[in-house]
Amino acid sequence: MRKVLIIALLAIVVYPIVWMLGTSFKPNDEIVASINLWPQDPTLGNYPEGWSSMDVGFGTFFANSALIAGLTVVANCVSCLLAAYAFARLRFRARKLWFALMIGTLLLPGHVLIVPQYILFKQFDWINTPLPLIIPKLLATEAFFIFLMVQFMRGIPKELDEAAVIDGCGPFQVFLQVILPLSKPALVTTAIFSFIWTWNDFLTQLIYLNDLENITVPVALRNFLDSTGQTSLGPMFAMSVLSLVPVFLFFVVFQRMLVQGINTTGLKG
Amino acid sequence: MAVRRREGIAGYTFLSPWLLGLFGITAIPMIGSLILSFTNYDLLSPWSELEWVGVRNYARMFADDPHYVEAVIVTVVFALVAVPLKLGAALGVALLLNRNSRANGLFRGLFYLPSLLGGSVALALVWRAMWSKDGAVNGFLGLFGIEGMNWINEPDWALSTLVVLAVWQFGAPMVIFLAGLKQIPAELYEAASVDGASRARLFWHITLPGLSPVIFFNLVLETINGFQGFTSAYVVSGGTGGPVDSTLMYTLYLYQAGFTDYEMGYASAMAWVFLIAIAVITAIVFSTGKFWVHYGDQS
Amino acid sequence: MHRAATSHVTTRRSLLLAALAAPVLAACGTEGSQAEPESTAPVELSVFWWGAEARAKATEEALKLYTAKYPFVTFKTTWQGNQGYYDKLATMAAGGNAPDIFQIDDGALSEYGERGVTLDLTPYKANGKLDVSKFPESLWKYGEVDGKLAGVPTGENTPGMIYNKQLCADLGVPEPTTGMSWDALISWGEQIYTKSGGKVFGTMDPSADYKALWMWLRQQGKELYKGKAIGASKEDLVAWFKLWQGARDRKAAPSADIIHEANGGDVTKQLVVTGKAATSFLWANQITEVQKLSKQALGVVAYPGNPSAQWARAALYFSIARSSTKRDRAVDVVNFLVNSPEVGKLWGADRGLSANLDVRKAVADGLTDATQKTAFAFETDLAPKFGQAPPVPPKGHVKARALLITHAESVQYGKATPEAAAEAYLKEANAAIAS
Repeated sequence: MRKVLIIALLAIVVYPIVWMLGTSFKPNDEIVASINLWPQDPTLGNYPEGWSSMDVGFGTFFANSALIAGLTVVANCVSCLLAAYAFARLRFRARKLWFALMIGTLLLPGHVLIVPQYILFKQFDWINTPLPLIIPKLLATEAFFIFLMVQFMRGIPKELDEAAVIDGCGPFQVFLQVILPLSKPALVTTAIFSFIWTWNDFLTQLIYLNDLENITVPVALRNFLDSTGQTSLGPMFAMSVLSLVPVFLFFVVFQRMLVQGINTTGLKG
Repeated sequence: MAVRRREGIAGYTFLSPWLLGLFGITAIPMIGSLILSFTNYDLLSPWSELEWVGVRNYARMFADDPHYVEAVIVTVVFALVAVPLKLGAALGVALLLNRNSRANGLFRGLFYLPSLLGGSVALALVWRAMWSKDGAVNGFLGLFGIEGMNWINEPDWALSTLVVLAVWQFGAPMVIFLAGLKQIPAELYEAASVDGASRARLFWHITLPGLSPVIFFNLVLETINGFQGFTSAYVVSGGTGGPVDSTLMYTLYLYQAGFTDYEMGYASAMAWVFLIAIAVITAIVFSTGKFWVHYGDQS
Repeated sequence: MHRAATSHVTTRRSLLLAALAAPVLAACGTEGSQAEPESTAPVELSVFWWGAEARAKATEEALKLYTAKYPFVTFKTTWQGNQGYYDKLATMAAGGNAPDIFQIDDGALSEYGERGVTLDLTPYKANGKLDVSKFPESLWKYGEVDGKLAGVPTGENTPGMIYNKQLCADLGVPEPTTGMSWDALISWGEQIYTKSGGKVFGTMDPSADYKALWMWLRQQGKELYKGKAIGASKEDLVAWFKLWQGARDRKAAPSADIIHEANGGDVTKQLVVTGKAATSFLWANQITEVQKLSKQALGVVAYPGNPSAQWARAALYFSIARSSTKRDRAVDVVNFLVNSPEVGKLWGADRGLSANLDVRKAVADGLTDATQKTAFAFETDLAPKFGQAPPVPPKGHVKARALLITHAESVQYGKATPEAAAEAYLKEANAAIAS
């Protein structure tokens, strides 16, 4: 019964993706003229054409994206975990104020920050480098993940910390020995989202990366389209399908680590 | 006393990267945009032509801009409908796929696929194809004898397709729910099962309270996301908010003001009004938290 | 009004904004220093444009030709698809980091020109460093904003109505012609609809298209923009909206939901491409790309009405940043790009038909592609009929253009009467361009 329900839902949810896959095998003029699921006149050509396009080729764009997304994962996991531990477990002056400010940074629509940020990063001489995409993450500027981790940590029973404190642990040991091991679901979730969102981020990567050799997949995909002129829909669809593969694999591998997080009895001893 | 001080020092030590980021990177552009919201900043003119205009940008929003009012209405309607539906879908599927098995791992990945698309450039074409006159949605409705329309191109219906799009991309809250479910101590279930509790009782008395911090998180974040809802409106309407302003989400209008009309001062003012409005909504959600969110650190 | 208040707030303003302004002011300070064009010290120029791969290849090739001539000049090129181009360009300009040479269109030229981002090229034209002597006069003048030459047209382009040639033959309907009246087009459209058994609508409804409205107004001796105001009266707009309301009622034009698809301007969604109507209101040179997407033979004629309302319009421009420290060299590069016959051959009709008439002729003679030939022939036939060029659209045009779409669509969808829409458009569009 459960299986039937799942499969019925999946059919609906996945249909548009299957359509996308089918479209990636259509020639350009058929994509424009017909929205059928399967190509009338199937071709494999979009894949090699897209892959080798723009001189540099998509291999480089995938590598650039993977590098930036990978570094972002590490940076977010480390920096946000530290901040989250402070917010969730430690008592210090002005904690509530800082927490409110942290939530506040989530609320301002990002478009008004683009230009001030650009001016700031230009002062640092970071334009046309990946630094504006990575250094901020090292400094826990993604408040989303801090808040996420705070919520997870607050779900960890306090008795565990208290037991550790009674055993003579200070805040650092509690972090290393109690909180860190139990934060795996939060870290896995952070890793998954960091990777996927960075993989898909368009505007920031567009603005800070100038050289063709440095651009990432989302930017490169839009290079197929000059909506008033040449538009290569076929290669664009083909590369869009390919660009789903790494993130899909990343997801499937990492979600396996979402396993039972707490086995309190074992720790209490 | 010494313990408290030690904890205070530890607190600021752990917080130091974030503080550095706040003051070095996040705060400066934010304050910059706040200052610019009181000016006629247009991105391109030399700084020497920048003028302080007081609250003129703020007054214009409420007194002299019919499109702004439309954008507020569109956004509120969207958020009120899309957020509960998306959270419901995410929680439902997370519960269905909670048990770890090889099949469930694959299913989770497949359910996550739409979210992997994000705001991808292909999405615009995919979504238009699904909802066009002879597209899949109408094909499906046809099975029940319903004749559909050109949904995205109808002012009365275009926003509904964005709601469906938001719900379709429920992967992120689903994963958070899944992770939250994993964190509920298994022993609680074991103890309750020994007492002979029914599955419904387990759900109401163990799963929901245990999951409440994560439900709370998803509610707060999806509310913020729902109101911000830029990407889908941008992608599906091609950045226009059309037809006839029917998908003109607040942040899309703000983006247009800043980057296509070169009225960044006005856009910044809109952004700060948005921040205050969402802060109030978020504060209300937070204040309800003490009635229904159960933290492990409060036992 | 607020200008009067400037003086007494200056101190406060400068205090508050000193931090933000510092980097840009610093960039302004370098204005005086100019690299000598005769100097052979190595110099690198940044060039930025939008387009797809074919344009990128042709542009890189053209720049290589320049480097071959002057080996000490190299280029740092950045290109992208059109989505996000102006976001990035505006961000770079706002950050005091505008590229030395950048591509721009007539929608944005005034925005950048009036605000002083672009270098005034008039002195270079006067001293011959920038040679536009072989350009049609109205064409280079279409690069002037407030009396300053803000951009050099890369090529000439004219709005063109692209129609389905094949379909006309199949249905036995005569092809539309240059000079046919708007009413004749609508009657023709009705014929297409009837003879195709209701399968194809006759003509796209261009009531949301500023190009079509502008042409229609000029045919009555008016302009879309008159200084910093809309040149059309409420009655004009009502008549325009009603003309097309009538066309839709007669089924000469499709329903609003279909029109809306094409109003975005994306070539892949144009109705001649998707087969939903027999005409599309585009730019003449777009026929080369539109034809690639369609299996049916297409043709191009002028927008309906008297073709003397048309003028030599710039397809795109190259502008030079006023903040550039290598202005003289940048001017020389642009001069090369628009006047070199080799570059003309590389580019074909991609950035419009070469602005330099000698180059254009050389390019036209060497053409092999049938569709490109059509585009060149169309422009050559039309050129003698061109009328006086109006000034380039003012600052605020991009917003006014979007407002026309919103309000014309509200008539198309039946959400507003022509009168109400005309009034709202006039009020809002006037406000958008007045500032």
